[in-house]
Amino acid sequence: MRKTRNGNKRSQTPLVHVYGCQCSLCVPMPGRDDPIVRLMPEDPEMLEGKPDPRLALNYDDRFSSILGTGVSRRDLLRVGSLAALGSLLPTAATFAQEKKFDPVVKIGYIPITDAAALLVAHEMGMFKKHGIESAPPTLIRGWSPLVEAFASHRFNLAHMLIPIPIWMRYNNKFPIKVTAWNHTNGSGIVVHRDAGINTPKDLGGKQFAVPFWYSIHNIISQKIMRDAGITPVIRPQDAKLAPNECNLIVLQPPDMPPALAAKSIHGYCVAEPFNALGEMRANGKMLRMTGDVWKGHPCCVVVMHEADTMDPARAQWAQSVHNAIVEAQIHLFENREAMADMLSKDGKNYLPFPKEVVRRAMMLYQIPYPGNPDAIKNKDWGADRINFQGWPYRSATELVVSDLKSTVITGDAAFLDKLEPKFVADDLVNYAFIRNALERNPKWKNDRSVPATGDPFTRKEVISL
Amino acid sequence: MRGSVNWVAGMAIFFALWWLGGYFIAANAKTASFSGFGLLPTLAAFPELWQAGKLQSAILASGERLGSGLGIAIVIGLPVGILVGRSKLFRDLSNSGFQFIRMISPLSWMPIAVLVFSSWDGSIVFLVAIAAVWPVIFATAAGLAKVDPAWFKVARNLGANPVQMLTQIIMPAIAFDIFTGIRLALGVAWVVLVPAELLGVTSGLGYSIKDARETLSYDHLTAMVLTIGIIGYFLDTVCVMLIRRYSWHWSGA
Amino acid sequence: MSNNAAVAAAAPAASRFAGFSYNASTFVAGLAILFGLWWLSTWALSLNPATSRFASFGPGPAFEATWAMIEKGQVQKAIWASSYRLGAGLLIAIAAGVPIGILIGRSRWFRELSNSPFQLMRMISPLSWEPIAVIVFAGWNSAIIFLVAIAAVWPIMFATAAGLAKVDPAWFKVARNLGASSRQIVTEIIIPAIAFDVLTGVRLALGVAWMVLVPAEFLGVRSGLGYSIEDARESLEYDHLMAMLLVIGTMGYALDSACLALIRRYSWHKQ
Repeated sequence: MRKTRNGNKRSQTPLVHVYGCQCSLCVPMPGRDDPIVRLMPEDPEMLEGKPDPRLALNYDDRFSSILGTGVSRRDLLRVGSLAALGSLLPTAATFAQEKKFDPVVKIGYIPITDAAALLVAHEMGMFKKHGIESAPPTLIRGWSPLVEAFASHRFNLAHMLIPIPIWMRYNNKFPIKVTAWNHTNGSGIVVHRDAGINTPKDLGGKQFAVPFWYSIHNIISQKIMRDAGITPVIRPQDAKLAPNECNLIVLQPPDMPPALAAKSIHGYCVAEPFNALGEMRANGKMLRMTGDVWKGHPCCVVVMHEADTMDPARAQWAQSVHNAIVEAQIHLFENREAMADMLSKDGKNYLPFPKEVVRRAMMLYQIPYPGNPDAIKNKDWGADRINFQGWPYRSATELVVSDLKSTVITGDAAFLDKLEPKFVADDLVNYAFIRNALERNPKWKNDRSVPATGDPFTRKEVISL
Repeated sequence: MRGSVNWVAGMAIFFALWWLGGYFIAANAKTASFSGFGLLPTLAAFPELWQAGKLQSAILASGERLGSGLGIAIVIGLPVGILVGRSKLFRDLSNSGFQFIRMISPLSWMPIAVLVFSSWDGSIVFLVAIAAVWPVIFATAAGLAKVDPAWFKVARNLGANPVQMLTQIIMPAIAFDIFTGIRLALGVAWVVLVPAELLGVTSGLGYSIKDARETLSYDHLTAMVLTIGIIGYFLDTVCVMLIRRYSWHWSGA
Repeated sequence: MSNNAAVAAAAPAASRFAGFSYNASTFVAGLAILFGLWWLSTWALSLNPATSRFASFGPGPAFEATWAMIEKGQVQKAIWASSYRLGAGLLIAIAAGVPIGILIGRSRWFRELSNSPFQLMRMISPLSWEPIAVIVFAGWNSAIIFLVAIAAVWPIMFATAAGLAKVDPAWFKVARNLGASSRQIVTEIIIPAIAFDVLTGVRLALGVAWMVLVPAEFLGVRSGLGYSIEDARESLEYDHLMAMLLVIGTMGYALDSACLALIRRYSWHKQ
C-alpha cells in the first residue's frame, strides 16, 4: 500500500472517496486520474477520519475559492505594496502627456471609408510634402477607445462623428476643436429586401439599428422617420410597438448585416462599407442615401486638441496638416478607384475589406439606383456615394446642434437644452487653418455641395426628405 | 466582532486608496477630464442613477439575462455532468469534444449568436450559458466521482429504482460540488455578461457601461462597474453559504 | 527462450500501447462526433434560404480557410502575437498573485483586511477595466496585457492561499526548530507544498485569460487571434471566422493539456 505523507497506512473504508483514497474499493478503480475529475483537486492529505478542511465549518469560507480555505497564522508579514502601487498608477504618467509638443502626426482611425482622407494624406505622402512627419495611422475598433486614446493624447489627429466633439466639449469640458470636415455623405439606409419596406413610412412597427446614438446616422434616420410620420422610440425588442413607431437599437456595424439576414432588425443606417456589405452579402437593399436627403451633410469631422490650434508656435504645423488634408481630399475626388484599391485589403490593408466592397462603397451611385430607383431622388444634386469636402459650414453645425435636441437617445442630454447652435458654430469649430488650405486649393469647389455662385464658404442647408 | 471590524477596515483602506488616486487624477490638469473615475464623483453618481431609475432597470435586465443563462447552464450541465460521472464510455468519448469547445472564448461565438437567434436577449443568454455550462458539468462529474460506489450496490440491493437512486443518493451526495460548480459558473457568467450586452440591447448593466463610456461620463461608468462588483460579491457570498450548508459536516456525524 | 523473454518484456509495453491506443481512439472519436454535429447544424442552416449565405460557417469551408491561412502565414503570426500577450499577462498575474496569495495564507490580519476589497474587485468584469487600460497605458500591447493580467490574477491568488492553507502548520514549527531562515521556509517548504495548487490556479487563470484575450485584442493592435476574428467578422468572411475559432479552440486545448500535465507532475500522488 502507498504511504501517505505522514507514513500512516489507510485501512478502513471511508464514506467519501477523495482523490488519493487508498481503500480497497478505490485502488482497483482506474478513473481517478481523469482530467475531468482533476479539474477539481482534492486535498491529498485526507487521512482516515480527518475531515476535509474545505468542508469543515470552522474554516474561513469567506474568500475560499473551490480549492480550499485559509488557516489562521499569527505571523505579521509586511503588507504588499500592490495596493499602494495601484493608487500611484494614474500619476505614474504612463499615458502620453504633452510635456513637449511632438510634431509627428499620430492618427487614429476607425476602419470605415470615412477615414479615407487622413489615410490618403499619410499614404500618398502629402504630410511629407508639407514637411510634416506622420506615424502610420492606428486602427481602432470602436469610437470609445478612439475617444479615450485621443483624450489621453495618444493621437493628435483623428476623425470623429460630428456629435462626439459636441459632447466632449460641452458635456465633459474637454478642450477639443473641430478643424475641418473629413468627408460628407457616405451613409445610407439599408433594409431587408423581403421586409416589405419601400418607403420610410413602412418602417412603422419595425426594428432599426444605428451604430452610435451620437452620430449623424441617428440624426438623419430620425429626421426621415419623423417626416414620414413615424415616431422613433427606444424599447426592449419584444415590447409592443404602435404601427407608427419604430424601435431603435445600437449595434456595432459588423453585426448589422448578419442581424439583417437573421431578421433581428429590419433596417439600419450606417457608414460605408457596411451598406455595401449589406447589399452584397445580406440580402439588403438601399432604401435611401443620406447624401440624397441632406445635401452635402457632414458625417465625420477632423478633430485636434485645442492647444494645438491655439498655440502660435504650432500654427505653422497645424496649417501644413490641413494643407495636406485638403490635397488628400481633392486627390480622392479625382482618383476614386485607385484610392479605393489602395485602401482595401488587396492594397495597403487600411480597410480590411476586399476591393470590390470598397469600390462599391466609394463609387456606386448609379442613377437610377440598381435595386431601388427611389434610393436616389435628387438626381441633380450631383452628389456621390461619398464626398470629400472639407469646409465646415456654420449652417450645418447649427442644424446638427438643433437636431440633436430632438433626437431620441438614452444618454443624459440635459446640457443640450442650454446649448445655442450659433454659439457652438463659433466656439467648437476653428476655421482659420482649413480656410487657408482651401484658398490655396481652388479645386475643392468642384464638389457639388459647395455653392457655385456667391460666397463658397456659406450656404443654406438643403433637405429633401 | 473582530471579523467585521477588519471587514470595515479593509473596505475603508480600499476606498481611501481609491480616493487618493482620484485626487491625483483631478489635480493633474492633463487628466482632469477623467476625474469621473475618482471615488467621490462615483459615489455622487449613485443617487443620480437611482433617481433616474437607471440603476434598477439595468440590474433587473441584466439579472434576467444572467439568471436565464445560468438556469440553462444548470439544466443542461447537471444531467450531462451526471452522465459524464456515471458512464465511462460517455466520458471518454465526449472528453475531447468538450475540452475543445470549452477553450473557445465565448465571445467568439457572438457572430454565430447574432445569426442564429432572432432575439437579442436570446443571443446574450446563449453566450452566458455557453460560458457557464462547463464548470457545472465538470463539478457535477467530480462530485459524482467522490460518491462511494458501494452505496449504489446497497441501494440496488434494497430495491431502489433509478429515480430513487437519483434523488436519494446522487443528489444529496453531490450537492456540495454542484454548488461549487455554480459558484464558478457565476463568476464566469459575470465576466461574459458585460461584453455580451454589446449586442443590440438597450438595457442592462453592460449596456449602461457602454453608454456611459460613449458619453465620457466616467462617474456613471465607475458607478455601474461598482454595482456589478457589489452584486457579484453578494451572489458569491450566497453561493458560499449554500456550499457551507450542504457540506458533509452538516449532514455527517 | 528469447521468445518468452521478448513476450514477457512486450507484455507491459503491450498493455501500455493498448491503453494509449484506447485514449487516442476515443480522442479522435470524440472530435469526430463534434465535427459531425457541426456539419449537421450548418447543413440545417443552409436549408433556410434567408440564412443560406452564411453556410460558410460549415466545417468544409473552415478547414479550407484554415489551410489557406496557414499557407499565408497568418495563423502563425496571430498565434505568436496572442501567445506573447497571454504569456506576459499570465506571468504578471503569477508574479503578483503568488506572493499576495502567500501573504493571504500566512497572515490572518492581512487576509481579513484585504478580503472584501479583493472579492469586490474580483467580481468586476475584466473588460470593464478597458477605459482605464486605454487611458493609463501608453502602448496598446501593454493595455491588453494589463487586461489579461487583471483577469488572471484572482484565481492564482486564491489558489495559492488555499494551497498554503493545506500545509501542515507543524512543518513550520519543525523547520524553525531546525533553524531554517525565512527564505528557506519559503523555498523549501512553501513553494513545493503549494506547487500543485498554484498550478491548478494557473489552469483556471488560463481559462479566464483566454476568454478575455479575444475581446481585449479589439484595442488598437493589428495582430493576434482576437484581431483576426474581428477582421473576419467585419468583412463577413465566416469561413475565416470559423477557421480562427478552430485555431483558438485547438490552441486553448493544447495549453490546458499542458497545464494538466504539469499539475499531474506536481501532484502528491507521485510521492
